[in-house]
Amino acid sequence: MKHDLELKVQAWLDGELPEHEARRIGQWIARDAEASALAAELGCVRQALSRHEAPVTVGESREFYWSKIERQIQREAAVPGKDSLPWLARWRKYLEPAAGVVALTCVILMAVMQAGSRTFDEISSPGDGMEAVTFHDQSAQMTVVWLRTAQNQSVPKNVRFEDEHGTVVDLE
Amino acid sequence: MRRAACLLFSAFFLAAIGAAAAGLKLEARLVWATNDEKGGPNCKPLDGDLAGKLHGMFKWKSYFEITNQLACIPVNKTRDIKMSAHCTLRVENLGGSRVEITCIGEGKEVQKWTDTLTPPKWLVFGGDCENNTAWFIGLRSNNPEPNKIISKN
Repeated sequence: MKHDLELKVQAWLDGELPEHEARRIGQWIARDAEASALAAELGCVRQALSRHEAPVTVGESREFYWSKIERQIQREAAVPGKDSLPWLARWRKYLEPAAGVVALTCVILMAVMQAGSRTFDEISSPGDGMEAVTFHDQSAQMTVVWLRTAQNQSVPKNVRFEDEHGTVVDLE
Repeated sequence: MRRAACLLFSAFFLAAIGAAAAGLKLEARLVWATNDEKGGPNCKPLDGDLAGKLHGMFKWKSYFEITNQLACIPVNKTRDIKMSAHCTLRVENLGGSRVEITCIGEGKEVQKWTDTLTPPKWLVFGGDCENNTAWFIGLRSNNPEPNKIISKN
């Protein structure tokens, strides 16, 4: 038997079904042996529970018991809800994440601008009659711009550097 | 936890904005390189990491500091740094550690150079002098490095 039909039998036994459905289920139980057996078993359980269940009694009078519940409801209704919060407190939950997003955007923009500006690093513009030779020492983090007149085409003196094979070259 | 994260982020953000708005702190040194052991009366031996770097790249025996200037240049502003009676640097802070440096010798523009000065990088201009000596002008930003700003917070 399907579970929903079992529930229908239970509801029929508890008198929870509408009248026309209760009549239909009653006819079906009378016809069907399995349903009839289930109804009988559930009826026995119901009877056993009603006989042996300990009665629960409230020590107070009915009026006093319900007046307590009423007072509790009134007390909870008196507590200010979300609608009575000041406008700043209500907007704060939106303002905080918005401020975070704006700040993060600014930081990212600054980082992007800084990174972008490095694409045109080192722009050299010698004056009239001047030339510049540039040395980069990555390990020492130093850039040297050697200035000389255009007439003097000699290489810088007293320079030592490593060529592409790692050999130290001295210019004297 | 949420408040602490908020404070941390704000501190980082304000530090980054503050560092960008405070301007570029620039150190400029005029150096004379020679093979003599002694310099002139107004010379003192060059110290600091610039001395080591020049010794590593060039073969002169001695490096003497003639001038040591400090300047703070706001963003998009230009400052003249007088290094000697004959030489002046005109430095414009382009923002984001970018600078445009104009070397002016005897009132004449000798070289214009645009670069990014992030510590501890040195930008050094140099040239020959009489009697196999040379002059150097070393420039370095004294602003804190970006990763140090973060570590302070």
